[in-house]
Amino acid sequence: MLSLTVLYDPECGLCRRAHEWLAEQSKIIELNYMPCASEEARKRYPQLNHDLTKKDLTVVGDNGAVYFGPKAWLMVLWALTRYRDWSYRLATPELLPTTKRVVSLISQNRYQIGRVAGLNR
Amino acid sequence: MTIGISTYLIYLAVSIALTIWVARTLHKNGRVFLVDVFHGNEALADSVNHLLVVGFYLINFGYVSLALKLGYVITTAEQSIEALSVKVGLVLLVLGGMHFFNLLIFSRMRRRANTRHQPPIGPDAFTTVQQQEA
Repeated sequence: MLSLTVLYDPECGLCRRAHEWLAEQSKIIELNYMPCASEEARKRYPQLNHDLTKKDLTVVGDNGAVYFGPKAWLMVLWALTRYRDWSYRLATPELLPTTKRVVSLISQNRYQIGRVAGLNR
Repeated sequence: MTIGISTYLIYLAVSIALTIWVARTLHKNGRVFLVDVFHGNEALADSVNHLLVVGFYLINFGYVSLALKLGYVITTAEQSIEALSVKVGLVLLVLGGMHFFNLLIFSRMRRRANTRHQPPIGPDAFTTVQQQEA
């Protein structure tokens, strides 16, 4: 796999901040960004359930592999030079349940977190 | 030359020869592993190999030097041989331990280098990707 496409929620302040952070990180594989459920995304992935991508972060590999929610977060970490080791650590059977719980919690409350942190426009 | 001094000299000669032999074996046969780990980057592999061997020498010679002192006076050839067997035996065990530690490092590096290309988790599904018009 040589590149990943990140389908992010353009209306969420936390996601925009995360996007800025990602742009600064050095990467092992290329990351592309697309607003979820946008024209662009629908054209590129005609068979994907785009309503679902609005609910949680979705990442699609250049081979068509779809990663949803916590898996998508792990794949983004995996793409980064400094955090590839962490992606394996967080995906071990011992840590995966905790990872999923924490990531879901952040995802579901992303608007509130963004508001409290003053990231929403 | 007293029998005590000859015991020390034999101990040093045997220990140094053994250390050099093990280090050379490691240097010669570890290279293949390292070249594989660094994806064919031979310059980097040689450099790391050399650094590992330097560390190996330092630890082993350090141990040989520290373990030199006998602490009692040797008067007979029998005592000398017994003292040598204990000292050289310890050096051999330390060398063996170090050797396996090095092997462990090599195989760890190799495994890591090979598995890091696999994503940490499997995908949820597969979808078709419409190639963008250039």
